[in-house]
Amino acid sequence: MLRNTAAFALALTALGASANAQTADLPQAGSAWFADGKSVIDARLAQQPIAKRAKNVILFVADGMGVGTNFAIRVFDGQQKGMLGEENVLPYETFPNVALVKTYNINAQTPDSAPTAGAMNTGVKQRFNLINLGENAITKDCSTEADNALTTFGEIVHDMDKSVGIISTARLTHATPAAVYAKTAYRNWEDSAPEGCMDIASQLAAAMNSGLIDVALGGGRRHFLPKETTDPEGKTGRRKDGKDLVAEITAGGAQYVYDDETARAAKLDGTPLLGLFESSHMKYEYDRTGEPSLAEMTEMAITSLSTNANGYYLEIEGGRVDHANHAGNAFRTVTDGVAFAEAVAKAIEMTDEQETLIIVTADHEHSIAFNGYCGRGTPITGLCYGVDDQGVKHSDELVTADDGKPYPVIGYLNGPGSVLVKQEDGSYKGERPDLTQEQAMDPEYVQQALLPKSSESHSAEDVVAWAKGPYAHLLGGTIEQNVIFHIMMHAVTAE
Amino acid sequence: MIDRRRLLVLLAIAAVSPALRARAAETLRMRDLYEKDLSFSALARELEGARVEVSGFMAPPLKAQSRFFVLTKRPMAVCPFCESEAEWPDDILAVFASRVVDAIPFNVPILSGGVLRLGAHTDAETGFVSRVRLERATVARA
Repeated sequence: MLRNTAAFALALTALGASANAQTADLPQAGSAWFADGKSVIDARLAQQPIAKRAKNVILFVADGMGVGTNFAIRVFDGQQKGMLGEENVLPYETFPNVALVKTYNINAQTPDSAPTAGAMNTGVKQRFNLINLGENAITKDCSTEADNALTTFGEIVHDMDKSVGIISTARLTHATPAAVYAKTAYRNWEDSAPEGCMDIASQLAAAMNSGLIDVALGGGRRHFLPKETTDPEGKTGRRKDGKDLVAEITAGGAQYVYDDETARAAKLDGTPLLGLFESSHMKYEYDRTGEPSLAEMTEMAITSLSTNANGYYLEIEGGRVDHANHAGNAFRTVTDGVAFAEAVAKAIEMTDEQETLIIVTADHEHSIAFNGYCGRGTPITGLCYGVDDQGVKHSDELVTADDGKPYPVIGYLNGPGSVLVKQEDGSYKGERPDLTQEQAMDPEYVQQALLPKSSESHSAEDVVAWAKGPYAHLLGGTIEQNVIFHIMMHAVTAE
Repeated sequence: MIDRRRLLVLLAIAAVSPALRARAAETLRMRDLYEKDLSFSALARELEGARVEVSGFMAPPLKAQSRFFVLTKRPMAVCPFCESEAEWPDDILAVFASRVVDAIPFNVPILSGGVLRLGAHTDAETGFVSRVRLERATVARA
């Protein structure tokens, strides 16, 4: 076996040398593109899988960031850094292992974030709008919860004496973070549930007090406070049962932080930590003030969880890439996407790939799409410029459609930016508005869309998963979303 | 015919500097009035009491045949996967018009002109609590 491996390596080396000899004389051999392309092959030939048990697992989920949304984030990030943009490489795009992921739910072609996150946390696909229940559970039917409760990855690694953390820029009771600790027949039971079932915030309180969840940082304060209570930002709680779950969690020994100052003062020594930085979702990155960034929360969580010598599982969600897509506002989609990428970079910096498996993925895509033919370096949130036949960068001419008007690069198939507008007689008619580049690149601009819908929708298109670290090489091909769990499971249990 | 309140508004405008009158004559955006932490901008404080024009979108009216509506900076989308119930964004502008307002679809850009008022206020008729208002307002499609 060893001899075979050695022979294979020798053959590869020989092939590499032979490829070099064969390509050196090609007319394109002097091009930087050619050299760069070849260096990728050299790097892949040198890549060694890490086939040993993972101590830590970090699962990054950018909510609503499919292949298309990721492309927009990549180009925007590059353009912010002074590049033309298309050539940019996001931190996780350097990972050696990549797969396309099929995101549909048991009963939905177009998925929602609850069962998709549940699939990654339990290893099985689930039904639309519910979290961590087996296939016989029925959405919104509390009576089907008990017999269908699944065991989560968080529970499994907790039993291995690892710590567990969740971070989200959405509410901690929202679908993606909830999938780490909650089991519910309906994702919207965030602060109340029918008799016999437990609301999601109460499940987080129970999980923190039982020791299952060690770090929880995000939004959603209102679901933990009684409706009679006003929080430090002047917002009232939503709980009708009178319970103050923040008080219950801190009584259990956890620290509580609620803004950037209190977060900076938190002890990151393994003492359980609850951060609720907004009444509802945390702010979009562009609007952020008074609360930590996703990268800062990532640093806090990794520092605290790393104090456990047995390791940890940390799920980190960029929750509002999705919300900005729903609003048809590509600017906040990409600015929150860049904040997500910065959080991944922080995790890469703070961990050792020999012991930490990092998977970066999304739960689903949106109805986002990209117009053409735009020249290189066209601002991704702006109007499409033409291709310059002589140069590299785009021409200064805006490309027009058959109606004679310029158009943005990014559009949506449906949403609030629909070109069809409701008329007084109830019918929908319209034409595309005239737009300047300045208007299109305004942070408040809502992209043009086709179908009129108040909220732009998810789409069933694939998302990507990138991985590095122990057993990251198990990720590849086109996979079902629940396979992500099985990669994490193998990584933490491998002999 | 200039009534007393109108006269006071005109006097208030006359009292501000020429540069400020020029800013007041420009179309403002919501972000010109609010800082990121939702405190009022210096411009908003300077223009309080002056007649200004603000661009935005009309949130679906709370009731028909009303003089009141909420101006939002982006179309007020109802997103079932973001919120479990309809909610107002933090950065809105309450608009009290001079006449009953014809509803304009939530995603059509509009301009609303009115007298800028700052500070918490509960409207007696609708019970709506606002931090910033346009009073004696008019509205038109942008």
